[in-house]
Amino acid sequence: MKPIRTLFAALLLAAVAWAQNAAPDSTQSSELVTSKPAADSAKAPVDTLAYAFHKAYISIEGGEMYPFGDLVDAVENSFYGGIGFRYSYWPDFDGFIHFNYAYVKVRAEGIPFPGVHQFVGRIGLDWHWRLLRPLAIGAGFTCNWTRADSDEEDKYYEGRGGMLLDNETEFGWFARVNMPFTSFKGITAGLNVLWEQLWTLPERSNTLTVGFYLERRIW
Amino acid sequence: MKNSLFCMAAVLAFVPFCGVSHAAIDAEMEGMEAVSRDDGTFLIGSPTYQFDRILGAGGIHSESELWTPQKLRQRLLFNRMSITPSWAPFEPSVWVKTGNELGDMIYQDVITEYGRPENRTPILEGGFRTPSFKGFWATARGFQDDHYAARTASYRKKIVEDEFAFFGANYPMFSSVYAGLGYTNDFVNASVLVGEEYLWEYMESSRWMPVHMKPRIEARADFWNFSLTAAFEDALYQNVLRGENGERKEVNGSLLYRCGDACEKGMLQLSAGIAFRFVDDEGTVYTELDDNHVVWPFMQLRIAPFNWLKADVMFGMNDADWLVQDSVEISLPLAVKNLGVLVGFKNISGTRLNPLADDREFFAMGNVESVIELSPDGQMTLFQGYLSFADTVASFSFGGRASFWAEKGAETFDVDGFVEDREYEFRYGNVSRIDSWIKGVTGEFWLDVWLGDMFKFRALTGFERIDGDDQRFEVTPAEYFVAFTGDWLIRKSFRVSHSLRYRSDARWNLRSSDPMVVKGDWFWDATFEQMFPKYGLSFTGSLIHVLADEVIQVPGADYDRVRIVCYIRKTF
Repeated sequence: MKPIRTLFAALLLAAVAWAQNAAPDSTQSSELVTSKPAADSAKAPVDTLAYAFHKAYISIEGGEMYPFGDLVDAVENSFYGGIGFRYSYWPDFDGFIHFNYAYVKVRAEGIPFPGVHQFVGRIGLDWHWRLLRPLAIGAGFTCNWTRADSDEEDKYYEGRGGMLLDNETEFGWFARVNMPFTSFKGITAGLNVLWEQLWTLPERSNTLTVGFYLERRIW
Repeated sequence: MKNSLFCMAAVLAFVPFCGVSHAAIDAEMEGMEAVSRDDGTFLIGSPTYQFDRILGAGGIHSESELWTPQKLRQRLLFNRMSITPSWAPFEPSVWVKTGNELGDMIYQDVITEYGRPENRTPILEGGFRTPSFKGFWATARGFQDDHYAARTASYRKKIVEDEFAFFGANYPMFSSVYAGLGYTNDFVNASVLVGEEYLWEYMESSRWMPVHMKPRIEARADFWNFSLTAAFEDALYQNVLRGENGERKEVNGSLLYRCGDACEKGMLQLSAGIAFRFVDDEGTVYTELDDNHVVWPFMQLRIAPFNWLKADVMFGMNDADWLVQDSVEISLPLAVKNLGVLVGFKNISGTRLNPLADDREFFAMGNVESVIELSPDGQMTLFQGYLSFADTVASFSFGGRASFWAEKGAETFDVDGFVEDREYEFRYGNVSRIDSWIKGVTGEFWLDVWLGDMFKFRALTGFERIDGDDQRFEVTPAEYFVAFTGDWLIRKSFRVSHSLRYRSDARWNLRSSDPMVVKGDWFWDATFEQMFPKYGLSFTGSLIHVLADEVIQVPGADYDRVRIVCYIRKTF
C-alpha cells in the first residue's frame, strides 16, 4: 500500500508544478465567448441554454479512498475505479457526473463479513478560476450506496455491521481540486483530489479521495 | 385533451379555496404533495395514508375521506381516496428517481455498538414511455417508496411470508411495477397497463393490512366527451402469525360523460357518470362490501346565468347511500380596478363521505374479535359561507378569506376498546356520528410579490377556531399556520423553490387510549432543478422537512424524517 500512496503523493506534487506550465486545455471557456476580446467577453451575453452541454468529455478514473477521523477504525484504505462525464455549463463552470466502485475492506473486529461493495455517484460543478488555471476547484453532492459482501441477510441484523447486510444509502457533499497536468493526442491526464463528508449517523463520515484520470472530449 | 376531463372536474370541485398554499416543491411521489403543505392539517402516516385537511375547507373530515368526481381515477385504499400509488401513464420520457432519509450509518455501522440509530430507508423508481409510433406507445415503470417504513417494519414483517416488496428488505408501504401499451391520436387516448403491487393499507382499527395484487390490470380510454376507467385486481391477503389467507378478485372503474367544449360556454353545463366496484371474496379478507358490489351513479350540474353568479351541484345516489355537494358563488360588482370580492356558500350532505368504500372491517387480535361497522346510520350536513377578496397593485397582490361553517352528523369513531400488541395500540368499535353541531370560523390572508417569471414570493397565514365536541374528533385540527414560499427561475433553466412553514399542534383523539399530540413545528423544503430544454433533460433534487423534528404524525405509523430525493428525466 505504501508505494501506491507514495506514487499518489508524488503525482499530487508534480501536478501543481506541471499545472503552471500546462497549456489551457479544453476546460477553458468555449468559443461561444472566448473568441471575443476578453473585455468584451465579460459583457457578451451568453445563451445559457446553448452553452450548456456544447462541450462534453468522458473519462476513466482510478485511485484510492482514505478514511478520516473515527472512520479510520472502521475501514481500510480502498482502491476504486470509475467513469466520469464532464460538460460545459456556464463560462468558467463545468458540470460533472462521476460513478465509481470500490471494494472496502472492514478493519473493525467482530464483523461477520470481510468487506463492503460501495457504489458512489457524484454530481458537481468545477470552477475554472483564472488565477488557478488550469486547476479547477469544485464541489457537489454525493450519493453512496453500500452492501456487505455477505449472503447472510437475516442472521446478524441487530448488531454491529448488521445494517450493511441490507442495502444502505447516504448522501453527502464534497469539495475537490481538479488538476489536469498534460494532454497528448486529445487525451488529458490529471488528478482529482476530493474531500467528502457523508451525512451519516451517529457521526458524519469523512474521507479523502485521490484519483488519476484520463479524459477525452467527445464533442 | 386527456387532461381536460379532470380540469373540468376540478372546475366543478367544491373546494372553493385552493391554490394559494404551496410552492413548487416537487413531491417525492405523485400524491404526496401534502408532505410539503401546512396550510391546514397535513399528517403523513405513510405513502399510503395521510390525513389532509385544508384550513378553511370546513368540516372535520380530511379531503381524502371524501369522494368527489375528480377522484375517479384515484386509488381506493381501504376507505379513502389516494393518488399514490399512481398508475397514470407519464408523458413520453425516460426517468430515474432515488433518494434516502438522512442518517444511515454506512461505515459507522461497524464501529457503533450502542445508541445505534434506526435504519434510514430510500425511494426508488425507474421507468419509460416511448414516443408515439403511428399513435402507439409502450410504457413500463417500477416504483416504491420506503420512507415511513423502518419503525413498524419489525412488527409488519411477522405478518407476511416474504419481504413484501420488489426490492430490498425495508418492508416499504408500497412497491409497484407495471408495463403496458397505449394508443393516442386527436380523438382517443387509451392505455392498458398490467402489473403487480404490494401495499400496506391503514385500517380503521389502526392495523396495517398487507395486500398483494397479482396481477393488477388497469385500462383507461378518453374519447369524445367520455372517459372510461376499468381495473381488475386479484388481491391476496395474509396474516402468517394467525395462519390466515384470503383472496379478493375485484373489478372497479367508472364511466364519465363530461360537458363538452360547446357545452362549457353555455349557461347550463351537465356531466354525468357512474362508478362501480364488484368483488368476490374467498378465505380471510379483512373487510366486506355489502352485496359484494356497489354501483354509484352521479351527475354534476353548473348553472352560470351571469358572469357574476354560478352554482354547482353534484348529486349521487344508490340503494344504500346518497351524497350531495353544492355551492353558489357571487362575484360582487365593484368599481375599484383589480379588486375582486367573492361571496360563496357551500353545502355537503350525505349518508357517507365515501359511498364506494367497504362496509365493515373484521378485527381479531388477542382475545378480542369484533366487527367494525364502517358505514354509520344517519347523515351528515355541512354548511359553509365565505367571503374572499383579492387586489393587485403593480407586482403585488394581496387577498384574504373569511368563512363560517357548521356541521352536524360528522363521521367519527366510537371506541369500544383498545388492544395493545407490543408497542402498538389498536382499536375496535364502530364508525359513528357526532349528532351535535360543530361550528368553526376561519380567516386567511396572503401576500404575493413577483418579478416577471424570475421570482415569485408568497406569504400566507391562517387561523381557525372550532367549537364542538372535539374529544370525539378523529383529529383536532391545527389552529393556525404561517407559510413563506419563494420560487426563482434563473436564466430560464435553473429553478429553486423554497417553502418555510409553521403549523400549530394537532391531536389524534381516538386512535390510542391517550390522545396523541403532533406538536407544532417549522418545516423547510427546497427543490433545485437544472433544466436543459434543448435536450429535454432535467435534474431535480429536493430536500424535504429539513428543519422539522423527526416525529410520528399518525398513531401506529412511522417517523417523518429529513430526506433527499433526486430525479433525472429525459423527455422525448
